[in-house]
Amino acid sequence: MNTRDLVLIALFAAIVVVLGLIPPITLGFIPVPITAQSMGVMLAGCIIGAKRGAFSFLLFILLVAIGLPVLSGGRGGLAVFAGPSGGFILGWSVAAFVTGLIAERFVHPGNSEARQFVGFFLASVIGGIVALYAIGVPWLSAVTGTPLMTAATGSLVFIPGDLLKAAIATLAARAVYAGYPLLPARA
Amino acid sequence: MLTSLYVEGQSWFHRVPVRLKLIALPVLSVALFTTDAPLLLLPAFLLCGALYLSLGMTARDAFSRVGFVLFTILVLAAVNLFLVPLPQVAALVLRLTTLVLFAAAVTATTTIGAFMDEITILLKPLERLGLLWAADVSLALGLVLRFVPDIFARYQAISEAHRARGLPIRPMTIIGPLIILTLKDADTIAAAIDARGFRRQ
Repeated sequence: MNTRDLVLIALFAAIVVVLGLIPPITLGFIPVPITAQSMGVMLAGCIIGAKRGAFSFLLFILLVAIGLPVLSGGRGGLAVFAGPSGGFILGWSVAAFVTGLIAERFVHPGNSEARQFVGFFLASVIGGIVALYAIGVPWLSAVTGTPLMTAATGSLVFIPGDLLKAAIATLAARAVYAGYPLLPARA
Repeated sequence: MLTSLYVEGQSWFHRVPVRLKLIALPVLSVALFTTDAPLLLLPAFLLCGALYLSLGMTARDAFSRVGFVLFTILVLAAVNLFLVPLPQVAALVLRLTTLVLFAAAVTATTTIGAFMDEITILLKPLERLGLLWAADVSLALGLVLRFVPDIFARYQAISEAHRARGLPIRPMTIIGPLIILTLKDADTIAAAIDARGFRRQ
């Protein structure tokens, strides 16, 4: 890994910290405000790619673990891993990796704009939602003893909000890809 | 802007070696998950609660650190009431709350420096295999702490620019410029690091 990759990893982790500091976005048609930080996984995979995105989130998870209040709402510390949703936080790194793999595969500079949008959206949905829930939901079920099927159906409530995040992340990732592409230069 | 969750203090738990605390946490979690007996879980809960409250935090601070996690535990317990027998739900609440309190106690009594020392030791085997440099992890961590205030200031500047033009502040129009402006600095920062020979390359 060269120094530039290391710096990109650190800068992206810092961006995710800042996304946790900015006020949550409220949209008229969804009652729950959306925290910008929860889009970080999708953004990391789509913008700096699989390997650097995964390392960036490992670094972010390290920041949480050593007691910095970097999660949105000023949360942090080892307690968040001991709680029921610890699996979602530990799963971020894998989710960023999966997002990055798909984005690297489907988005190329020569593609039409529409195809790039589709590629980023697919990557965000499969990595940032499917892969993340595949880790977080069984974890939650194992920790709390809630039957897996109940935990899975219960999580469906969050899917519309997550799809919206994927859409916003797609627009942002495509804007960055057009302005300052980093995805093709693999770590 | 980023103040650690460490609490200044001289309690006995502050003086326990960091490594011991970090080993005790997974040991405790395995132990708690092997039992459903309230006679074991309740004393563990009371002990960890007393430990957490003895660290010298105000009641408000102590609650705000764990409130959110405790809330999710209670929500899931409420769901579980309909699905699993009551004794099991009680065991779940006691077990998870105990773990959360102990974990929060470890966080509150361990400085970032002490954590980093332990992490450097944990990374030693990986370093020997040539997979990564422990020093790189510290460097990356330092870079994050150094650049968070800068990036936040940049976010405020972009919001101001929106306001000056009478535009609504939308994530779509903020995240893009924020990321591009930040990542564009990567080359300069990388050059500065290499010029100082921080990574011995």
